[in-house]
Amino acid sequence: MRESRRNLLAGLLWVSPWLVGVAAFLLAPLAITAYVSFTDYSLLEEPVWVGAANYREMAGDPVFWKAVRNTGLYALSFLVLGTVVSVLIAVLLEQPLRGRGLVRAIVFLPTLIPVVSASIGWMWLFNAQHGLLNAVLGRVGLPTPDWLGNPTFAMPSLILMSLWVVGSYVVICTAALRDVPAALYEAADLDGMGALARFRHVTLPMISPAILFNAVMSIIWGLQVFAVPLIMTKGGPNNATVVFSMYVYSNAFAYGRMGYASALAWVQLLATLALTGVALMIARRFVHYRGA
Amino acid sequence: MVRRAFFVDGIECFNTLSLPSPVRFCVLCGSSPSSGYPAGVPGRVTSRRAVLAGMAALGAAAVLWPYTPKSRRRVPRGGRGRVELTYWEKWTGLEGLALQRLVDRFNASQERVWVHLIPVGDIDAKAMVAIGGGDPPDLVGLYTYNVPGYAEARAVMPLDEFVSRGGLQREGREGERRLEAGTESERGVGGGGSGGRGEGDGVADAEYAPGVRELLWHEGRQWAGVNTCYTLGLYYNRAMLREVGADAPTTVAELDAIADELTTQDAQGRITRAGFLQNLPGWWPYLWPAMFGGALFDAGRNAATVDSPACVEAFEWIAATARRRHGVAATRAFAAAFGRSMHSAQDPFISGRLAMIVQGPWLANFIAALNPALEFGVVPLPVSGALRASGRVDDANPVGLLEADVLMIPRGCPHPEEAYEFLRFHQQQREQEQLALDHFKPSPFAAPSPEFLARHGHPGIRVHNAIVGSRNAMVLPRTRVWKQYSDLTTAAFDAVWGGADVKQTLAGLNERAQQLIDSAEERRRQRQSGRRGESNEMKTSRWHGGLA
Repeated sequence: MRESRRNLLAGLLWVSPWLVGVAAFLLAPLAITAYVSFTDYSLLEEPVWVGAANYREMAGDPVFWKAVRNTGLYALSFLVLGTVVSVLIAVLLEQPLRGRGLVRAIVFLPTLIPVVSASIGWMWLFNAQHGLLNAVLGRVGLPTPDWLGNPTFAMPSLILMSLWVVGSYVVICTAALRDVPAALYEAADLDGMGALARFRHVTLPMISPAILFNAVMSIIWGLQVFAVPLIMTKGGPNNATVVFSMYVYSNAFAYGRMGYASALAWVQLLATLALTGVALMIARRFVHYRGA
Repeated sequence: MVRRAFFVDGIECFNTLSLPSPVRFCVLCGSSPSSGYPAGVPGRVTSRRAVLAGMAALGAAAVLWPYTPKSRRRVPRGGRGRVELTYWEKWTGLEGLALQRLVDRFNASQERVWVHLIPVGDIDAKAMVAIGGGDPPDLVGLYTYNVPGYAEARAVMPLDEFVSRGGLQREGREGERRLEAGTESERGVGGGGSGGRGEGDGVADAEYAPGVRELLWHEGRQWAGVNTCYTLGLYYNRAMLREVGADAPTTVAELDAIADELTTQDAQGRITRAGFLQNLPGWWPYLWPAMFGGALFDAGRNAATVDSPACVEAFEWIAATARRRHGVAATRAFAAAFGRSMHSAQDPFISGRLAMIVQGPWLANFIAALNPALEFGVVPLPVSGALRASGRVDDANPVGLLEADVLMIPRGCPHPEEAYEFLRFHQQQREQEQLALDHFKPSPFAAPSPEFLARHGHPGIRVHNAIVGSRNAMVLPRTRVWKQYSDLTTAAFDAVWGGADVKQTLAGLNERAQQLIDSAEERRRQRQSGRRGESNEMKTSRWHGGLA
């Protein structure tokens, strides 16, 4: 008994840095922001209890609704397009093609580039007058829009850029593809399946846990997007690219409205949890675990 | 306890922790494979763990060792024992060096206080966190839009607080009384209060210009010292205007006519040279109503007024530029091309691709460095015909935006008295004007010294100074919600530029801005009524664990 108690204490001692970290940097801030979200607080003076006023204010705040719409659009696009693109690239790179190792490295490389550098590079690519994209479009006689300056094109441009950094998702899909038993493909061949049917009935179910993982990560990262729109558009034009995290930050540190920012942050957290939960529930029907 | 944990089941720690062999001594527990359990006399060979621990300790020390930038001035050997102040300022580069020279002059002027100037990025957010966290610097350089919020929260010290400590000059009280006596009606376009006349003003040894005074005072008290000011004027390319036989415009109609003549577009409709565009540089989308006699805020009623007829007229003019005169897509694309090249060799005005631009005095500095051959001039902002005809605007009272940087003493700072001593030095006309000379800016005082005007390298400095002293100088709304109001105005500008209905857009903006103003006022009343005899400083102190 004393031995097990000693082991327990030793175990707790070893995990104590993590426990302290979670308590100090996760649970305590969560509790404090929950309280602050019901107050008016600027950091500079004492909080004043305002009940649910901060939550009610969101209903009539046009920028809040723009941020919700933009973040939702970005997250959904990143989820769907990112998943499709990463699976397709992973499948393509598993084919016996010459130089696929090099291509795989090139696909992964953007994930290693700092977000600020990448964003500034893409700003030049998107530049309406001198950008490479418009230079090519102009050469072939297509319209050359102001990608980042026009509210219609600004958010799609950011989504397009986000697809450039799917390298880590491709790696995860590649690992899953290599784990698919060859016997299943042989059986499919014997059953006379074509390439598409094999992909639909063998490959996709077998890599569905990896796709689910990527999807959940895409939802979380998509809903938290911050740096790219901040650097590339600062939320403009006309708030066409203002996203939720950016609006939380502005309220907290630019407008001195920590209470409203905390309420926004809680809405963001709950929305992220809810959407992740929905994704996991849907996944029960579609995700195939070997041996399950 | 720890030592015993390494000897679970009596296994020697080397085996348990897979330490390499041959090793004769573990520095943590002192055991040795050759000497048996428990550890006996330590051997002479140090374990790999000890080496790794030592390296980790060295690495941690290197990372955590206080870093002192080479540029940071050290207290001289003979000056040990001085009170050392920390001063956070946003400026770097040439502007930062100019301020460092001022600090050096102060440090050399006496032997009791030493000021450390520290450049800080994103300074308003960091100042807010530092003051709220109870660990502020002694002095902090912020923006004028911070003054109302910081003053109402008592997050900075009102400079008259030093009266009781014998620090404030007589002129400070005089200046304060004068401000209370001043009326907002004394100011013209843009609204605001006004100061009186006298030899000294607040903590300064000379009288601030009325607009500058308005930026430093809030609710009858001075909360900040000025840290250079600037005004915005219309810069024009003389050669281009000669090309069309025009003089610098004084009215909006003249501005439009010259701009139309100078704007050229290629076969695809792309602008290759622009006369004038309000979205370049697009940094002050709230400026334009001043050219039509409009204001964004009525301090007397504590009301947003961005939907007033004059503001609507200004935004209709903006809409017309984009939609009717040059095209939305073409103007957006032209401006976007210079998104990150302002104040570089590719700057639209400096590179000769834009004939006229609203800018601050610093532009002359960049022109001198990047294109000294450029012939340019500067005039006050052109105004609408109706405003010109009203007689409110004349040569002595031109229209332009007046803004300033400010220096404040955070409440709860370690050395407020010494900080105030530095602030007084910093507010001397001689020092402020030297800083303004170095920054290429106008003087913040009502009567610039003759030496200042004679020595100034900016060819248009008299225009900028005239705007500083003008009753029509526009200052930003003195409300704590201005930052958010300003961001909403930027979005409204974008919307109008893109084709949104002007009246509807401004009505929506006004409604939201008023909600923010009313909400802030309501919270303020709530705080005041909740005090019940307890000072706000005391309550703030309690919440922040001893801030004040």
